Amino acid sequence: MAEVFFYALSALAVLFALGVVLAKSPMMSVLNLLGSFFCLSVIYLLAGFQFMAAAQILVYAGAILVLFLFVIMLLNLGDISAHSTGFLGALRSTGAKIGVAVAVAIGLALLISVNLGMLGLKPAESLPDGIDGMTGIATELFGRYALPFEAVSVLLLATMVAVVVLAKRQRPGTDARKS
Amino acid sequence: MQVPSEHLLILAAVLFAIGVLGFLVRRNVIVVLMCVELMLNAANLTFLAASRQHSIPGEPNLVGPVFAIFVIAIAAAEAAVGLALVIALFRLRQTTESDAMQEMEG
Repeated sequence: MAEVFFYALSALAVLFALGVVLAKSPMMSVLNLLGSFFCLSVIYLLAGFQFMAAAQILVYAGAILVLFLFVIMLLNLGDISAHSTGFLGALRSTGAKIGVAVAVAIGLALLISVNLGMLGLKPAESLPDGIDGMTGIATELFGRYALPFEAVSVLLLATMVAVVVLAKRQRPGTDARKS
Repeated sequence: MQVPSEHLLILAAVLFAIGVLGFLVRRNVIVVLMCVELMLNAANLTFLAASRQHSIPGEPNLVGPVFAIFVIAIAAAEAAVGLALVIALFRLRQTTESDAMQEMEG
């Protein structure tokens, strides 16, 4: 069963990756990339990497792709709202229908999982321990790889400063080349 | 899951190839950055597949996940700097097409 899931998700991840390359609008590229990352996350989970699956969703989908979306919307590059007029128009479009369907499915799943006892169902057995347990990861990260870990923290600080300097609007009258 | 680790490696190779294709073909700088993210993800998958290959029950090999975490941190830094550059270039040129920037071409 898990094997079937793996091959289906692999095909889906490749299709989404092709969508990133082939999509006309950058907005559609980001959404395809999101799909690809979600498929990869489930593949990590199937392969036994539970922490990596969570990190994939939280860091990639939650932080990096939101950054991409933010920049695309800031620069006004997404033409996704071109053919929808107002709230009702947006609600009628296919994407919104899919979105509503996914939201309803998630809500139903939540309701069922919360009220398992009422429906006379037993909760599923918890997943077996994956390859990347938190204890093992932490021991490696703060033991053998403590120096690279600190180096990454310095890199992130430097990145933060660089981004602020790069993206800051120049004050009128000041020349960046002179300062 | 009984899938051999080679199949994970094949998937990673295919995703990496698609990323390279997009990196070379697309002209929009933001999409090029996204393709770089795709390639980094394929590299992550390779690390994890290698780790899975070398894990034996009871004694997991954690070098792969640890380096995948490093790759994720580098990817976040790369995306942040890249997008800041895109914003700066957009302010200068009002476009994100890489064809608009040819001063260094000679």
